[in-house]
Amino acid sequence: MKQIILMLILGILLVPGIVQAQELKLSGELWNRWTMENGKAPGDSTDATLRNNFSLERGYVGLEAKFSETIKGRLTVDLFSSDALKDGAGIKLKYAYVDFSRLFPIPEMTTTVGLQKVYFGSIYDWNYSLIGKAPTDEYKLANSSDYGITLNGFIPGGLGEYALGAYNGEGYKNYGSNLKDNTDLSYLANLRLTPVSGLTLGGSVMNNSTEREILLANATANGNYSRQLLWDGLLRAAYGPLDIWVEYTGKDVTFADAFSNKDYSANALCVFPTLKLRSLIGTDLEILGRYDRWDETDNPQNINLMTAVTAGVNYNFMHDESDNPAMQVQLNYTNKTYDEAESAPAYAHGLKDTDTLMLQFKWRFATTIKN
Amino acid sequence: MKNRLFILALVISLISIPLLAKGRQLTCSGSTTVLPIAQATAEAFMDLHPEVNISVRGGGSGVGIAALQNGTVQIANSSRPMKAKEITQARSKGINPTPYAIALDGIAIVVNDKNPVKNLTIAQIKDIYTGKIKDWSQVGGARLPIVVVSRDVASGTFEVFNEKALSGSKVISSAQLLASNNAVASTVGNTPGAIGYIGLGYLTKDVKLVSVNGTMPSEKTVKDNTYKLSRKLYMYTNGKAAGDVNRYISFIQSAAGQKIVKDQGFVTLN
Repeated sequence: MKQIILMLILGILLVPGIVQAQELKLSGELWNRWTMENGKAPGDSTDATLRNNFSLERGYVGLEAKFSETIKGRLTVDLFSSDALKDGAGIKLKYAYVDFSRLFPIPEMTTTVGLQKVYFGSIYDWNYSLIGKAPTDEYKLANSSDYGITLNGFIPGGLGEYALGAYNGEGYKNYGSNLKDNTDLSYLANLRLTPVSGLTLGGSVMNNSTEREILLANATANGNYSRQLLWDGLLRAAYGPLDIWVEYTGKDVTFADAFSNKDYSANALCVFPTLKLRSLIGTDLEILGRYDRWDETDNPQNINLMTAVTAGVNYNFMHDESDNPAMQVQLNYTNKTYDEAESAPAYAHGLKDTDTLMLQFKWRFATTIKN
Repeated sequence: MKNRLFILALVISLISIPLLAKGRQLTCSGSTTVLPIAQATAEAFMDLHPEVNISVRGGGSGVGIAALQNGTVQIANSSRPMKAKEITQARSKGINPTPYAIALDGIAIVVNDKNPVKNLTIAQIKDIYTGKIKDWSQVGGARLPIVVVSRDVASGTFEVFNEKALSGSKVISSAQLLASNNAVASTVGNTPGAIGYIGLGYLTKDVKLVSVNGTMPSEKTVKDNTYKLSRKLYMYTNGKAAGDVNRYISFIQSAAGQKIVKDQGFVTLN
């Protein structure tokens, strides 16, 4: 409830400024989902039904204000019903930033200030063709948005894009007093190259940390403090109806010297092919697959080796004049299994093999009001 | 054996003939400035090649470029060069945008035909569109408030005008933002204090063309770039144009196609 009041107040404060804009774009994207999930822990003889419910997983509602050809603002909130809130719905501030495109005399470069995308790996242009999250989001390597400042731009000739950024490193859910005493900023570098049409190579590095290294009250080392080096490499090959993403990402986590026995590395491999059938059969159908392997066997606090395989079908319809679909039906099946030998003992303490079936209906709208 | 081969050949023929007879479809969309050129040249091309059916749509340069990125049109008409962001997005999807210049244009500054003002400088145009100059008397005209008419965000004409005349400055919030060249010409023609900008092919007798920095847009001044608001008009294809797309674009660039460009009020390439 406090969040809703906060958002209403924020909206009331921002709207007068936004309506001064040259153009104001109103947009929304809502995901209505049915989820059926069965799962079992090692030693279980039968599957148990873990979930069988309908939800509004996401309800992005946004305002994009164009103040001039060089200054644009964006405010997006995420309305949802899926989290455990008694109010029946929750609300999060997802994006609240301003783009300045000519702050520096570099062509096609934008300076973005505020709560914005994190330009790490595939997370910033992940469009949820499959229902699951981007690997860096799924395995908690990076947040999809965070408070900070970035310089991001495109290389002339369409050869690629880049980003340099400084963020809180805590994601969009944590700000102010929720930052847990962490005063270190997180720094990011991202580069993607498209040397030939259809082939994209990319890499990102980012450092992050949690809490403070020294507990201020008694000057002792903090066992929960860690430094993280996050890294990501991706390859995308798109040719005709086939589009394949391969992403290899991970983190190296280092604790204070007194707790170095907790140091570990973890990595994830994701292969994500899509076959777009529209050019072949005329109907806007997509067949998708995904293979994930998350290796956290080096983490003494949560040893696990997980494999997930997803198959999906998308049907897109109600296309606009640029041929972007306003509506999409997605059917996904995911089988997630933990390697029993590699995952003990954490595996026995909550991680479960699951089979998940999801049917999702997405709908989008957008309209531009000219001042 | 011979009978079987004959039957097989007959079946293949029966299947193939309707497919061949169906004709070849070519779709282009985008810039409303390029639209009259695309429509007129498509009609002439289809007269010469009845087996080809060309569908032409407007929507604005941004709309056509997005459709090319989505792989749903063979040609994107654009009144501006594609941005690095758009090219990168297209290339990452396996679409290789390739530009073909098809005509030249001068963005014409137009006022109501009863307005006595004959010339504006780039600086004056910028001041009018950013709201510093609000009355025609400040630029040598009668005492009459200026009504600023502009184009919307999907328009390539707006982007070129904003770049060349306004240096990226914000258009005054009271400006009317219209979706097409025709709408701008019509509004300026019906509003005594109005100023607008349109492609040369959209000039009508209801609007008055004013010179910019003392230069009128003409074939000569657009070609030698002395008219400050000159630009190229493009058709973008996925990779090097081939087949019917190549034949159609080559036709536009040929003498016959360029005559149509000229008839439509635009400036030829050579």
